[in-house]
Amino acid sequence: MTVDAVMEFRRRDARDKLTGRTRYTIDRAAPGMLHAAVLRAEVASGRLVRVDTSKAAGLPGVRAVATAADAPGRFGIGVSDHSLFADGQVRYVGEPLAAVAADTPEQAQAALAAIEVVIEPLPAVVTMADALAPGAPLVHPDWRDYEVLPVGGARAGNVAWEATVVRGDVDAAFARPDVTIVESTFRVGRQNHMAFEPRAVVARYEEDRFHIETSTQVPWTIRNATARFLGVPASQVRVTVPPVGGAFGLKFDIAIEPFAALLAKKSGRAVRLVNSREEEMLTCLFRENAEIVIRSAVTPDGEIAGREAVVLMDCGAHGGEQIFLTTMTAHTLGGNYKLGAVRLATRAVYTNTPPNGAFRACNGVYNTFALERHTDEIAAAIGMDPLAFRRRNVLGDGDLGATGQVFEGDVLRPMLDRMEALRARTTPHEVEDGRLYGRATTVGTWFVFTGPSAATVNMNADGSATLVTSGVEIGSGSMMQGLPQIVAATLGIRPEDVIVRQADTDAAGYDVGVGGGRQTTSLGAASLAAAQDVRTKLLAFAAQLLEATPDDLVMQNGRIEIAGPNGKGFTIAEVAARAQAELGPIGGTGAATRTGVPSMPGCVAGHFIDAIDIPVFAVHDCEVTVDRDTGHVEVLSYRVVQDVGRALNRSAIGGQIQGGVVQGLGYALHEEVSVDDLGRIRQCGFETYRVPLAGDVVPVEVDLFEGAPSLGPLGIKGAGEVPILNVGATVACAVANATGRRVQELPLTPPRVLALLLGREPELALPHIPPAFADNLVRPHGQPA
Amino acid sequence: MPTDMTVNGEARRSARDPLTPLIDVLRDEFHLTGAKPVCREGFCGACTVLVDGEPTVSCLTPVGMVGGCDVVTIEGISPGGGLTDIQSRLEQGDAVQCGMCFPGMVMALSHFLAHTPRPSRDDVRAALTGNICRCTGYERIVEAALAVAGTRAEVRR
Repeated sequence: MTVDAVMEFRRRDARDKLTGRTRYTIDRAAPGMLHAAVLRAEVASGRLVRVDTSKAAGLPGVRAVATAADAPGRFGIGVSDHSLFADGQVRYVGEPLAAVAADTPEQAQAALAAIEVVIEPLPAVVTMADALAPGAPLVHPDWRDYEVLPVGGARAGNVAWEATVVRGDVDAAFARPDVTIVESTFRVGRQNHMAFEPRAVVARYEEDRFHIETSTQVPWTIRNATARFLGVPASQVRVTVPPVGGAFGLKFDIAIEPFAALLAKKSGRAVRLVNSREEEMLTCLFRENAEIVIRSAVTPDGEIAGREAVVLMDCGAHGGEQIFLTTMTAHTLGGNYKLGAVRLATRAVYTNTPPNGAFRACNGVYNTFALERHTDEIAAAIGMDPLAFRRRNVLGDGDLGATGQVFEGDVLRPMLDRMEALRARTTPHEVEDGRLYGRATTVGTWFVFTGPSAATVNMNADGSATLVTSGVEIGSGSMMQGLPQIVAATLGIRPEDVIVRQADTDAAGYDVGVGGGRQTTSLGAASLAAAQDVRTKLLAFAAQLLEATPDDLVMQNGRIEIAGPNGKGFTIAEVAARAQAELGPIGGTGAATRTGVPSMPGCVAGHFIDAIDIPVFAVHDCEVTVDRDTGHVEVLSYRVVQDVGRALNRSAIGGQIQGGVVQGLGYALHEEVSVDDLGRIRQCGFETYRVPLAGDVVPVEVDLFEGAPSLGPLGIKGAGEVPILNVGATVACAVANATGRRVQELPLTPPRVLALLLGREPELALPHIPPAFADNLVRPHGQPA
Repeated sequence: MPTDMTVNGEARRSARDPLTPLIDVLRDEFHLTGAKPVCREGFCGACTVLVDGEPTVSCLTPVGMVGGCDVVTIEGISPGGGLTDIQSRLEQGDAVQCGMCFPGMVMALSHFLAHTPRPSRDDVRAALTGNICRCTGYERIVEAALAVAGTRAEVRR
């Protein structure tokens, strides 16, 4: 059967959100609920000599106090280097030392003030250059003792993880007499998600189990990580998720849930814990700062004979998401183009700074910036038009990716044509006020982070269906539009009649979480399978009633009928009700996981994913002006051609593209995070961290590219994550074109751009990335530990 | 000293310290959780309510300051439970994503549209300066406001 789930279906949660009725986690309360607070370290590095909570515990209203002794376990996505509280050593400003629960928030704060802490300061490594210096103090002196989940990653000292790709003979390519060698260096700062709902949790302890209600993207990670920290079986933790007020990757990891859980168990009461905006800023799990050196050997006619690159990702005090994300360089910096030979090293580096995390198109945003600026520098070096260079080299049908996976279909090249058509629709802006004008077109490669998902569909006797998954509505609308559309289309009912259950780990099976563009794809694949299971059962039952075979029947518009004009039949509700009475209620289950596209043997080491199941491509174009006197960059126009596979809901995708591009404009131009010499984040709120306002933005012109190959259900691809991917790249290339200067860093704040214009911005040097590739590695590629 | 005020047309009294931020009284005491405490510094506008008809950030307004005032929150802007014009346009325009900023957006835009007969696109953008949205990129919010203004202009003619 073919399912057409394409709909212009409006989200059902809009009305409540517009009238203030939606109850996010921060809006939730329970009778007798206590208020928790967390004491955090004020130094970046030190020996934790003493945490004395005895005075605090005796204060009025204080019901429970928790410290490191209560949370013996460690957790980590790749390396278990994260303890809930500082464990004898303080590693960053903001690291938790103790937590309290009291009758009122004021009493909880008073209790924090009464906790006596003695920390003996130790030298700190605040930058990656510090951390990689010979003899640098170790952020994790006991790194050898940590449990490592996957095998193969090289680690040593402050190098938390190292992933490498080697395909072909790169040295030979660089030694060819006919090549020009182009080297580029880049650096980017951190980006704060600024999700409007802070991380928030209400926890209870009932019937010997934890119930955690939290603002997260990953209910199963919260379940499993809480259990690990607290040293209890994961089956003792239940996680439910109300509507989430923004996430963007921030909530893709364990956060403050275990504190509330611990305090709930100790006090026997419900416990609420909500981060202040300042805590959100200080413990953000930012998009990481990164440093990149990329070098290419290119022939006079534009063939990329060889490429090598080293990427440093700052993971902060714990490896967290960055350990996993070292994998992604192969598919982002190693993406877009056909390469003769390639070698890439990506190192996640520990520093005494707050841990970084996931952020929309993690790793891809800055690697695409680096790759596309490097591409423009190559084109200039060999005297080729940058668009012509891209057309010549973009990945096409049958081409090999960096890890040797074979790409299917010509996608980027026709997308470049579509961008040309989109550009031709409007005349370029004329600038007559003396400002500099620049324009750029870039390409980007992203992917769908597939992996396990589960779904159940229960067919109700009234003709409605209930979809049960661990999916979370974080704002993207996937739970409100994409998933009910898929189920409705499969069952021939209206999407309004698909009830979508909020995530509850006691009700639905395992799911990786909402992120990586996987929600409509992976949960969609599981939901489609579950709905098809129901469909098959209903059709079989209806066939008996109609004395026909299931193949003779159609199931649409709320009816099951014998195909053909005036076919006999029943409403789906009638069939469901009779089936319920005669067979028992009809339900179906579905599951999905990654299919496993192969890479080339031996190409990768320390990777969590060797090849990408569902590539996603993007072509962006923008026009900017640069004010010669102030360095202010104004974006005049922005265009996106996005590979969506198949667009289930064009309006929903359009909203994601406008929003994602604007988040990218903030990253490109003015969202700046800096860390001072003592390891403290300087920006503490909206006043000092400048996000885009209504006056900063332009309407994005969008063209959705459909029909590219996809392993996703119904041919779809994730569409919400990728819009931010090449915004930094496109703006940077346009500013470089406008100014004739080498743009090597983001964000392009007015002071930085002015310094570029005045020739006062020093050439970026990264001496801690040695020129010889091999000198960057903990151990040679592919050599066993 | 308790503070007496009118909230969404109803006489209310708060016994909290007069320096307590209005948003905490609204949310914790009156259970009106529509206004959102996002920054608590007056930058984001998600906690905007109307005080005697004026858009006001309730995070920086001590409850003592609204004694005798008429406070309208997102819960009270559309008596009868329907949608106002701007809410309706935002819904039709598929503008909402995470939704946290919209209570404040709706309050600010309602006041703006009531006092600006024929706003330009730039007028709307300027009016939204005090209301940050992290999800949508603003465009559909601007479009919704212009649509409301356009409809009203037609009705007047």
